[in-house]
Amino acid sequence: MAESTSTATAAATAPARPALDKDLLTRLAAAAGDDADGLRRRLAVLDRWESVVAPDRVRHLWRFTNPVQLLPARVAVEAASAAARQPLAATMSGAVATIDLWPGQSPVITLAPGLPAGALNVGPAAGADVLAGGASAADRELFAALNDAAWNGGVGLVVADGVTLPGPIHVRIHAVAAATLPRVTLTVGRGSEAVLLEQHLDGGPEVRVGGRTVVRAAAGARVRHAVIQVWAAGTSGHLAVDTRAEESADVLTVFGAFGGEAAKLELRTDLAGAGAHSEIVGVTFVASRQHGDVHTSHRHLAERTTSRIDFKAVAADQARTTYTGLIRIEDDAPHCEAFQENRNLLLSPRARADAIPELEIHNQEVSCSHGATIAPVAEDQLFYLESRGLDRGEALGLVVAGFLENTLARLPGDARALVESFVGPRLASIREGQA
Amino acid sequence: MSDPLLNPADPANVFACRNLRVFVQDGDQEKEIVRGVDLTVRRGRKHALMGPNGSGKSTLAAALMGHPGYRVEGEIWLEGERVDQLEPHLRARRGMFLSFQYPVAVPGVTVANFLRASLAARRGTEIPVRAFRQELNEAFATMDIDPSFITRYLNDGFSGGEKKRLEILQMLLLKPSFSLLDETDSGLDIDALKVVSDGINLASNEQNGLLLVTHYQRILNLVQPDVVHVFMSGRLVRTGGMELVHALEERGYDWLADESAAIAEGSRA
Repeated sequence: MAESTSTATAAATAPARPALDKDLLTRLAAAAGDDADGLRRRLAVLDRWESVVAPDRVRHLWRFTNPVQLLPARVAVEAASAAARQPLAATMSGAVATIDLWPGQSPVITLAPGLPAGALNVGPAAGADVLAGGASAADRELFAALNDAAWNGGVGLVVADGVTLPGPIHVRIHAVAAATLPRVTLTVGRGSEAVLLEQHLDGGPEVRVGGRTVVRAAAGARVRHAVIQVWAAGTSGHLAVDTRAEESADVLTVFGAFGGEAAKLELRTDLAGAGAHSEIVGVTFVASRQHGDVHTSHRHLAERTTSRIDFKAVAADQARTTYTGLIRIEDDAPHCEAFQENRNLLLSPRARADAIPELEIHNQEVSCSHGATIAPVAEDQLFYLESRGLDRGEALGLVVAGFLENTLARLPGDARALVESFVGPRLASIREGQA
Repeated sequence: MSDPLLNPADPANVFACRNLRVFVQDGDQEKEIVRGVDLTVRRGRKHALMGPNGSGKSTLAAALMGHPGYRVEGEIWLEGERVDQLEPHLRARRGMFLSFQYPVAVPGVTVANFLRASLAARRGTEIPVRAFRQELNEAFATMDIDPSFITRYLNDGFSGGEKKRLEILQMLLLKPSFSLLDETDSGLDIDALKVVSDGINLASNEQNGLLLVTHYQRILNLVQPDVVHVFMSGRLVRTGGMELVHALEERGYDWLADESAAIAEGSRA
């Protein structure tokens, strides 16, 4: 479409998006080591790229965050070359696999010795079956389409049937390119157990990230998946996690969002098989002028599925945190249970929080509840602690730690340790009166 | 030697205030709640403060501790030093303690973590874990609190009686030089009142002092104050001993109301 034909209305509903063409996608595919199918999947997006509907800001999902802030202005292959010179961080102790993703590079994989042969398959690219299984409605969404076409650093993980991995898989995603578009896929086989710790780090003022993770838990699988975002100051981006839980699968998705400037995290879990259970537990901490946006979705597609969401946000200074959470229970999914709780703590009169829970219940035989609170720190709590000798910072630090405690207590050891390693410094800066 | 009651800095005094006035913001106006109080507590003395509802007793106690919601004029002395310009935590570290009428819940913070942080602040040094555990166990036994409370969240879901016991337990651990006990007896059954009173008596010695705010004679029978004050409309209107408590039990506060008015007239003149 020529620019001259754009109207004001069109501009408002169709924000600028990076230009994609066949040559660019072909070179991206080559850099990522795609096979012919991989290239074909990228090019398939190209046909509809200009017509992919941009996020509608009137609807709740994007009401608080301007998608243009999060999109890279352009996508280029050469953005990758600088990354190759980055030093590799140390391997996490106890991990069965440590994988570093740099834009434009093949994944750097370190496997622990002693991992049973065939238990874990780590490949450079995602298989089509995984994406088809977990993608749901997200395929029609702008950020998902951009990642599908132009992802520039990815890993596909497959855990075989009947395997319990002896340690976590640790994936570190380095946001070092102006357009960092990582993708991670994880398939956990029938009756298997796996822990995936996905950490988003590095970044800078020019960096935009559009990440996509797809998790598929087969029947009876048990998956623990943590997504931790600790981007450097100035980084903005969008991370989407699409999870599908088959019959009797048990999935815990943990998130912690601490870094960057404007960041939106979408966690969408489909409870696709009878008796599946999903829990989403998260903590965000925003300060200065950070903007943190979290969306969760639990879609109950099958009977006797259960879900729970526990999300705590702390906002200091002039930061803003927003939450939209959808629970949808289909008409042919009776005897489901779904709970959602979102609590926000404001540390400054200029900090702001918004929370919009949405319930779409199409079945009467369900148990469903939600709750949201937004409140400043209670002065009477601070005075009580101060009257026992704690200074203002110590008192505030203790109140905030207490606010997060029962949510952190839900996390398994590995994930809790990782989240706390980023919560800790925030609490320390509060104690020292800097937040 | 001069009368220590006249000199707030005298080492025989653990606490004193002079011409203390406390104001609270009420819409766009300031309202005076405490209207000029002079009080001196000598070491080893237990004072009681009685007064009708709404007379400003709790405001006085909170303002002495440094509650940020009040504007305070006048002098506050703790062990010979002015503390009226100090923040609440510094008053606490120097030995002032307030037992709250309504102890505040802090969900997510365990009693153990809270007490350890408070003790470290008061003593100015970290307490070794083993020594802390032992001290804690003894204090819990003294106050007849189940040890399982150590790992519970501070005042969260506690009954009124449990909260008050924990307040006095803190008084025992922190060893304040001057304690303000704001209606520590309210909401207690007979057994709990006995435990709380025993705790207060155990914490009291020749080196410290306290001011016990109450409505009722029964805790005073157990704690036996040396001095009793009657506080009405923001002023101390009468000071005496236990005989004053008995008179109030029989006659109520009305017979003192005239004196209160007369003092008010005098202060305006």
